[in-house]
Amino acid sequence: MSNLDQCPSTTKGEKKRAGKAELAAVAGRVDSIHGQRAWRSLEEVADTAEFRDFLEREFPAGASELSRAEGETDGESRRNFLKIMGASVALAGAATIPGCRRPDHKIMPFSREVPEEIIPGKPLFYATSYTRPDGGVEGLLVETHEGRPTKIEGNPLHPVNQGKSSVWALSSIMGLYDPDRLKHPIYKNPARGRIAATWDDFRAWADRAMPEMEAVGGAGLAVLADKKQSPSRQAAIAAFRQKYPNARWFAYSPAESSAVAEGTRRCFGVPMREVLKMTRDNTRVVVSLDRDFLHNDPAEVSNARQFSATRLVMSTKDTMSRLYCVESGFSLTGAQADHRLRLSPSQVTAFAVALAKFVLPKAAAPDSQQISSALDRMSVQPAAGVDARFVEECAKDLLDSANRGRTLILAGETQPPEVHALVIAMNAALGNIGASIAYLPMTDEEAAPSLANIRELTDAINQGAVRTLVCLNTNPLYDAPGELNFGEAFEKLQASITLTVESTETAAASTWSLNGAHYLESWGDTQSHDGAIAPVQPMIAPLYDTALSDLEFIAFLTDRSAKRIDGYEIVRGTWAKFVTGDFDRAWRRALHDGIIAGTSQSTQAPRVNFANVADGLSRLPAAPAGLEAVFCVGNVADGRFANVGWLQELPETGTRTVWDNPILMSPATAKQLDLLPINYTDKDPNGIYYKSRFPHGQMATVTVGGQSVTGAAWILPGMADNTLLLTLGYGRENAGLVGDGVGFNMYKVRPATAMNGRVVTAARIEHAPGEHMIASTQDHWTMDNRTSIVRAVDLPRFQKFGDEVALAMDELYGTRAELNFAERMGELAHTPPNKSIYKNPYNKSKDEPLPSAAYATGPQWAMTIDQTTCTGCGACTIACQSENNIAVVGKKETAKGREMAWIRVDRYFTGEDVNNPEAMYHQPVACVHCENAPCETVCPVNATVHGPEGINYMTYNRCIGTRYCANNCPYKVRRFNFFDYGVTKFNGDYLGKDLINPIGDYIPGQGTGITGSGEHNSINPNLIPPRLRQKLDEISRMQKNPDVTVRSRGVMEKCTYCVQRINAARIECKIDGLPGIPDGFFQAACQQACPTDAITFGDMLLPQSKVSRMRGNARSYALLGYLNTRPRTSHMVRVMNPKRELCSAERVAEWDMPLGHHAGHGEADHGDHGEHGDHGPETPGATRDGQHSKAFEFKPSRQRDDRGYALSLRVLGVRA
Amino acid sequence: MSAIHPDQLTAQRLAGMARPPIEPPTDPSTGDGTLIDDPAKRAPLVLNQRSFKEVTDIICGYAENKPPIWWLPVFMLTSTIAGLGGLFITYLVITGIGTWGLTNQVDWAWDITNFVFWIGIGHAGTLISAILCLLKQKWRTAVNRAAEAMTIFAVICAATFPGIHVGRQWMAWMLFPFPNSNSIWPNFKSPLLWDVFAVSTYGIVSLLFWFMGMIPDLATLRDRADRRLRHAGDGGPILFPLLPVRTDKIRAYVYGLLALGWRFSSRHWHRYEAAYLVLAGISTPLVLSVHSIVSFDFATSILPGWHTTIFPPYFVAGAIFGGFAMVLMLLIPARELYPNMKDFITLRHLENMAKIILVTGMMVGFAYSMEFFIAYYGGNPNELFAFKNRAFGPYWWAYATMVSCNVLSPQVFWNKAMRTKPIVIFFISLLVTIGMWFERFVIIVTSLHRTFLPGEWHMFHPSMVDIMIFVGSCGVFLTLFLLFLRFLPVFAMAELKAVMPQASPHHSAEGGSSAYGMGVSPLQVDAPKGGH
Repeated sequence: MSNLDQCPSTTKGEKKRAGKAELAAVAGRVDSIHGQRAWRSLEEVADTAEFRDFLEREFPAGASELSRAEGETDGESRRNFLKIMGASVALAGAATIPGCRRPDHKIMPFSREVPEEIIPGKPLFYATSYTRPDGGVEGLLVETHEGRPTKIEGNPLHPVNQGKSSVWALSSIMGLYDPDRLKHPIYKNPARGRIAATWDDFRAWADRAMPEMEAVGGAGLAVLADKKQSPSRQAAIAAFRQKYPNARWFAYSPAESSAVAEGTRRCFGVPMREVLKMTRDNTRVVVSLDRDFLHNDPAEVSNARQFSATRLVMSTKDTMSRLYCVESGFSLTGAQADHRLRLSPSQVTAFAVALAKFVLPKAAAPDSQQISSALDRMSVQPAAGVDARFVEECAKDLLDSANRGRTLILAGETQPPEVHALVIAMNAALGNIGASIAYLPMTDEEAAPSLANIRELTDAINQGAVRTLVCLNTNPLYDAPGELNFGEAFEKLQASITLTVESTETAAASTWSLNGAHYLESWGDTQSHDGAIAPVQPMIAPLYDTALSDLEFIAFLTDRSAKRIDGYEIVRGTWAKFVTGDFDRAWRRALHDGIIAGTSQSTQAPRVNFANVADGLSRLPAAPAGLEAVFCVGNVADGRFANVGWLQELPETGTRTVWDNPILMSPATAKQLDLLPINYTDKDPNGIYYKSRFPHGQMATVTVGGQSVTGAAWILPGMADNTLLLTLGYGRENAGLVGDGVGFNMYKVRPATAMNGRVVTAARIEHAPGEHMIASTQDHWTMDNRTSIVRAVDLPRFQKFGDEVALAMDELYGTRAELNFAERMGELAHTPPNKSIYKNPYNKSKDEPLPSAAYATGPQWAMTIDQTTCTGCGACTIACQSENNIAVVGKKETAKGREMAWIRVDRYFTGEDVNNPEAMYHQPVACVHCENAPCETVCPVNATVHGPEGINYMTYNRCIGTRYCANNCPYKVRRFNFFDYGVTKFNGDYLGKDLINPIGDYIPGQGTGITGSGEHNSINPNLIPPRLRQKLDEISRMQKNPDVTVRSRGVMEKCTYCVQRINAARIECKIDGLPGIPDGFFQAACQQACPTDAITFGDMLLPQSKVSRMRGNARSYALLGYLNTRPRTSHMVRVMNPKRELCSAERVAEWDMPLGHHAGHGEADHGDHGEHGDHGPETPGATRDGQHSKAFEFKPSRQRDDRGYALSLRVLGVRA
Repeated sequence: MSAIHPDQLTAQRLAGMARPPIEPPTDPSTGDGTLIDDPAKRAPLVLNQRSFKEVTDIICGYAENKPPIWWLPVFMLTSTIAGLGGLFITYLVITGIGTWGLTNQVDWAWDITNFVFWIGIGHAGTLISAILCLLKQKWRTAVNRAAEAMTIFAVICAATFPGIHVGRQWMAWMLFPFPNSNSIWPNFKSPLLWDVFAVSTYGIVSLLFWFMGMIPDLATLRDRADRRLRHAGDGGPILFPLLPVRTDKIRAYVYGLLALGWRFSSRHWHRYEAAYLVLAGISTPLVLSVHSIVSFDFATSILPGWHTTIFPPYFVAGAIFGGFAMVLMLLIPARELYPNMKDFITLRHLENMAKIILVTGMMVGFAYSMEFFIAYYGGNPNELFAFKNRAFGPYWWAYATMVSCNVLSPQVFWNKAMRTKPIVIFFISLLVTIGMWFERFVIIVTSLHRTFLPGEWHMFHPSMVDIMIFVGSCGVFLTLFLLFLRFLPVFAMAELKAVMPQASPHHSAEGGSSAYGMGVSPLQVDAPKGGH
């Protein structure tokens, strides 16, 4: 009997039977001691010899009956055992048919109606909230099908999300269905090793072990808990502390930087949390000092939303904010920047000082003068890399009277607290505090410095002050800084208890590993950064053995004798103080809305203690020697998402690598260190061609202090020189099938005493033997001179000419008689009008250009993607993956180019210098649903056809997989199931793969498996007959959206515009008697997730629909429109807002240059590459006098060769 | 020489057993079978003054005699390779198309390359048998049977690939139009569907053509087996100990079945000639249409590098080019291994085919240059990029191989000395075959690997399965050809005899007397060669 079939009541029923025999004997004692404790503990209560024996037993009770020999006559034979088992299974089944795995307590669906509760086939949405690994909170809606959560969306009523969500929140559902998560408690028996146990066993153990600790007030007990902003958690901690006054509670978030807390403490006296309040009115200029506030930020969703609102340009009268970004890596914030400077963290500090020297003396605030004088005394000079003009112009922009009080400066996690304080002072002096930024006091837990805590804990264990450690959702054995040698300390513990949802290294080593309840299985609450309190409600009862949530577990530790530990009661108890009036009513309201109305706290604009800031300046660290190593987190967060395939396969920012965390450095630094990626062909000693297929990084050892870690070196254009970017969260050893052995564990070199946990100086890096394959979804860096793919324009030019249209009669279709601004930037402006000797099949006649009835009646679906507001965060990709059951294919398959994402985000660097690109563009591309779809004509079996609503349908059961459609798709959005990705385990590998497809990715000690661990892929799931294949775990399959087919091997798939949602909406509207489907009635999954609303979707025939307005906008253009594919998805020009003084003369000159046909654009100047349809006036590089500016161009030589990444290195003149 | 009654002589002559009494003087300029510039002199099509009887004996001997010593080992080698290919195909079907090196960006590679390659190979046979027949090129008779056989085998290899390249091979039947309850027909707009019709039509017509041409010769084989069975003893060795049937019995039975009751009657011959001409007429447009339609797979797409109107003639020329190269690659070793084949496949034949290779190679070269010119002249930057990328991109080596093999290497045939040396012709044919494979690879892969959006540019790398299935198809091809050499009439005996001097009604010995019926000249009569 698998765990799956065991619902809580099953186990209860079974145990009831087992206990009955002894009931009479112990009944008295039970009553007196434990009241109505669970029956299983009767033996324990009776204190029988059997129980004392229990802890030393290898197998759970009853198991020994199996091993008894057949011939024994005592009646306890195997046959007898089976009889008992059979009976109990039958009993259990009868008892639990209704209500299995449904929560006991009423939770409130978010939907408007559904009085009957669950209607089969109709999903219900429930509101809940989620704590991100970085401590941020997101309010979510969870789609459940027949009580089974399948997809996560943002809660429209939650102030942080407002309907949107981040990739982490979207992927968190995978944690619920993670086949490798802990399914039951495991006891590490000193004699027998790890044995399966039950929660009752644990309770029994606790009852023996805890009283001793209670007696001394918890001395020797320590708790290492994750950081959660939750009122109930705080209350629980308070109760715990009361019970165990001598116990120690450590809050610990491994990847955290304490710079903000420290910086605000210096300014305000107490640690405060930033609450960004950017609006179009109060934010004109944003300066980010190594702060990735759009992506890696606890409030990323609301930040991105607010920021994009300041950037939206819908007409020529609109203005937009300007973003200066000074950073060490190349973050998504840097990709959004109008002006970007790459500086190492120490240089960013110097930049901040230089900026302050400009800003503070001229700022109005009188108090700031004392800082200015302190700054004047400082000898810190801008480092060599700091462009004085950049600082000056940036400062001028901040001080501009039009921008007064409408600016924002943000300091990042790599910066020391002094810089944070200085930035706060600048914000105060500029009048930004209270406008674009405000503050709320941090809770003690939030302000607690994690690194100091883990250090203190390790010391305490080593000194014997802590003998019992409880790890609450923490994994210190993996993520404690290497130099602490936490593993050694851990050995010294008398007992360790780990409560965790996922499988962790710490759980594997603990005395007790307890299966925690996933947040979708438990009650709780959260408090977001703006103070709003939201409930966490269970969508489903715990899937495995009566798991406890962290809240319930703390309550258990606090009061083991409690009658019933119930998160529901705990949360209700805590909430009593937030609610006035009718509690039940307010409770139901809050559960329904997913938020307690009115709990958002009014933010504060505290006074800045300028003197303190000035004092701190003297403590600014001196410019370091050697390399600077920046620790950052990637898609798998601090490591807890390592077993989430979606996130492993989501391309990382900039590099687009997947399933890895190479050591990143700038190309120049890599060249200097001789660590450039390898064009493997050049080095293959055997000359075997197929060994050279994938790009490889050279292995290198990073040493910080005494610790070192070996990983693959890789390059990221646009990074600061002399800087290493080390991504935390990889290199897990006990994460499960997906995450084991992926990447390298950078926590090993993270010093416990680092300045702020994010930067260390004086890192060393040297060659290590070997190479490592790097898989990326995008092998090419640039647009390769094809500037009409992502079209970009500077704001002044758009404001001047954006309204102009050019008449260009499309004689074949006649649907658009004029080309708007965006279309005139691209090929369409150069393409002759469509003329055909054939009649357009969609028109009534050749002479009549108007579109025929084919697309004249609604709804006609269309989508727009705004490249100005798109930050490239990847939420669309993950949302689509979740909605449409898109398979994860693994590192090797991705390296081959077989990733399955229906909506991908293409990344292009622009500029001449691969070391210092001008910008990074992001372009989401999904099926654009061409009206003249090239894929449709070539499919021999009519598997892809056009629908009457303009959707290009894909009929899976008709498809035989000729792949002709994918070849003929100019957008390359079609994805083929090369293996049975959908229903078998993710890797899609096959027998003998190492023989047939050697990848040459051998890492000593790690094998050559897909994840590097080499142990999971020994069996080919495809070579086994279908019935016997290694299918997806039952539990993983529960995540699948039942409304979407899981595709089999050998069929093509692609974006459907979420046709299942369209059809659901159509049915609903029909039932409601609506005339059509109103705009905004439903959303496509990508649109629904996009934090910046860059994606709109709807009926383009409705004149007032958002999508038709966007399509009509001057920024809207058809990607590759000249092919006459007539895509339904249009992209929108990226508008940038550079400062005139920081632009080259050519770029400025172009602002006054109207779009038009080759005005002053001689043929001679591009004769060198002869592509005259591809650029022209639309190329920002063409100027009036016929001279080519190279600002946005690439040398043709860069087109030549790109074997993955190694090719662009040709630019550097090395190894090519 | 003995005196023979004139009637008997006539009878023997008519039975093809006589040879001209006087050796005609060998013209030193043509005697080796090569062409010369003087149109008045023609090299003989059959060397060594073979009589009809000898021709029959030699050709039937390939099928009847014990195979040469090399045959069995080579056959075992090729059939092992073919079997290995079959294993890899089985593995592919069981496991998935992912075992190939394809990606989501390069969705066709070796599979379609091999398909187009083999289909191209198949063109020479039908061209030789149909177009050259209509053009009354007498030299074709020596090579047409083998070339047609090669066509059939190449089509078999070619047809494999569209069948196995689909993702769900077990659903490949959905390509055919068949009535079904869903009333869904195939998409007749899809060139891939046109392929299905074109290739299957071509395969069927080629097979008919080949088989029909073989009927008289099969009847000869039948009769000879039957005669031996009746008159010449035990009927040959027992093939398998467990199956005590004499080989001649099997032969007589099988050839008898295949000969479809041919009795060499005039009426049969009359019908045969008419049918042959009709089939030649049907086949002629097919030669041009099949590869045109195959080229539509690419030409009708919108992909730069594929979307080219030059493709149909370019593909046809390339197919003939590659096909002739393959014919030469097969026949040159065959005539070395069966020495008396040299009497039928003379240097004149080889030279003729070398000239065709030279011509079609130039056509292909012209197409290559026109592609570039149009890409430049057409003003489409993506198109120009595609061609620049072909020549100078990461697959430059494939393009360089293609051009040097297909355009440069045949140029040596301008030299008569070169085009009359079998070893040189063989080597150049080998290069051309390699070059033509690469031509298809270049067209398919280099166009796909860099299309419109640089974000989706991706390299293709073949896997071992890709390679082994191609090698396996070569094994299948060679195995079938070896079986053909062993069991079927390798030359069209009847047609061959028709182009021999004896067949001419005006044939006369150099002495000027007629060979017909006059009985003046003492004819030499061959004693029947003994044995089988």
